[in-house]
Amino acid sequence: MSEKIIITENLVKRFPVGDGEFTALNNINLSFEKGEFSGIIGPSGSGKTTLLNIIGSLDSPTEGSATVLGHRISDLSHKESAFLRNMHIGFIFQVYNLLPVYTVFENVEFALILQKRSATERKKAVMQALEWVGLENMADKKPSKLSGGEGQRVAIARAMVKRPELVLADEPTANLDAKNAHAILKTMKTLNKELNTTFLFSTHDEKVMDYLNRLVRLEDGEVDKDDIVQPKYMV
Amino acid sequence: MKLAFHLAYKNLMGAGLRTWLNAGVLSFAFVVIIFYNGLIDGWNEQAKIDGINWDYGYGHLLNDAYDAYDPFSIEDGHGILAKDKQENLTPILIQQGNIYPNGRMMATRIKGIDPNQKILRLPTELLNSSKAQIPVIIGKRMAESAKVKMGDELLLRWRDKNGTYDATTVTIAGIFDSTVPFVDGGQIWMSIDQLREMTLLQNETTYLVANENYEHVETSGWNFESQKYLMREQTKLINTKKISGSILYGVLMTLGLLAIFDTQVLSIFRRQKEIGTYIALGMTRWQVVRMFTAEGGMYSVFATILGAIYGIPILWYLAAKGIGFGGMGSDMGVIISERTYPVYGLGLIFGTILVVVLSATIVSFMPARKIARMNPIDALKGKVQ
Repeated sequence: MSEKIIITENLVKRFPVGDGEFTALNNINLSFEKGEFSGIIGPSGSGKTTLLNIIGSLDSPTEGSATVLGHRISDLSHKESAFLRNMHIGFIFQVYNLLPVYTVFENVEFALILQKRSATERKKAVMQALEWVGLENMADKKPSKLSGGEGQRVAIARAMVKRPELVLADEPTANLDAKNAHAILKTMKTLNKELNTTFLFSTHDEKVMDYLNRLVRLEDGEVDKDDIVQPKYMV
Repeated sequence: MKLAFHLAYKNLMGAGLRTWLNAGVLSFAFVVIIFYNGLIDGWNEQAKIDGINWDYGYGHLLNDAYDAYDPFSIEDGHGILAKDKQENLTPILIQQGNIYPNGRMMATRIKGIDPNQKILRLPTELLNSSKAQIPVIIGKRMAESAKVKMGDELLLRWRDKNGTYDATTVTIAGIFDSTVPFVDGGQIWMSIDQLREMTLLQNETTYLVANENYEHVETSGWNFESQKYLMREQTKLINTKKISGSILYGVLMTLGLLAIFDTQVLSIFRRQKEIGTYIALGMTRWQVVRMFTAEGGMYSVFATILGAIYGIPILWYLAAKGIGFGGMGSDMGVIISERTYPVYGLGLIFGTILVVVLSATIVSFMPARKIARMNPIDALKGKVQ
């Protein structure tokens, strides 16, 4: 039986709006197994990013629970959730969020510095991660010198360098052209296969959906559909 | 903490000119503080040395009736101190009189001193070597105000102990240059034996200057004023200058620290996404706060380095060449050398570094605390107000 690494039970998330409240997620019951390449899809405002943020322990549920890698998110202190993200979760953002004053190498190295790994270990791991994304020759470049596709590949390397169990990718192809988007997705799919890393996407990009094995559709904060699908593109 | 400094260093180096502008402003405050304090300390040190060399010696033993700040006490403020109690002391007798340079009358104090004394730097040996019948020595400023020069003769008029006026001609045997106004303006120096003879005050003394071997024993009718006590006015003045100086460097520090504070506030606002990213990558909020605080504190380290690069040669040069004040202090009644040489003690330098580093760290921490209350999701979206 596969290991469930994400479990949400009756998860509700409300945000205060004016005098009232806005329900972003309502009664979400989902589970994701290790090694899945899944996506949360749906229109803007459907709650995709909110769900991803809760799973990434950047936020916590108002009601119900979210358990990630055995940790109940609402029970974690700031320090514990930082530790969880640092050791086990990789993030890929829509706008890459690379640290502008660091080189490509230093951006990727950052997560390992937080893990207090030795310099030799860091160098080896960073070069390996850059090799995965085909940027080993750009290690000394600053993010401002990279194209959009290259920037996102650095972000993937940064998320993958620590070999996390879970990678959360929020609209990773939104700022990329089709060619770059496919390249990025192929890279992620390969890493998913080779390292058995769980990938969870938040997206409404058809190109991304073509690579996913499972599509969870959110509509107004509720699960509308949860389908296992045959990806159009295999790696 | 090592991580915070490591990242802060990278961020500051990456920020380029902005970093060096802030460090530059702070380094200016830093160099000025060290210079100004060094100048005051140098002045203080020289004033002490000059005061000891020219006037204070190692303390004064004064006749009870004499008050250095009350000219009316001169007439009666003298007495006879037993010879056996004068060991390691140089007696000085003060009387009032008038001189008539170029037909003008000038009130003066006539000070008698042993020409063989070695305690004070007054060139009293000239009183022995002069061939004049009654040789006197005067200070440069007294010579300027009386418009007299070496070898000039002056009519001196005084009253003896019986109140009888007498007059004689004295010859300027020497003009000395002293930074200490108390031994120069409005006074002439002659042999104490000569003055005692002229005033019929045999063996009488107004006060005695102690040398380093003097050990004070309570003596009836005589009051001992220590070196420290004699320096009190000068010390007070220097302390006042230090306070007024602290206002100046308070303003300079405020400018430097304000620049850092402003940069930090702006930086936290502009770098919200970066802050969110740090948290998403696994930093705790307090780790990010520490990193931003370290960035601010590091400005002061850069300021120290920058200040050292241009400050050391300048401060070194000024310490070696001194700063000319043209003896204006003597006109104001305070001891200031013609040239003052700033003194930069280790305490001053390290104390200033510590103050600058601590202040910069505190002003950086204040805006950085906001990060601890920041919602990482809002930060990632750049929505924090």
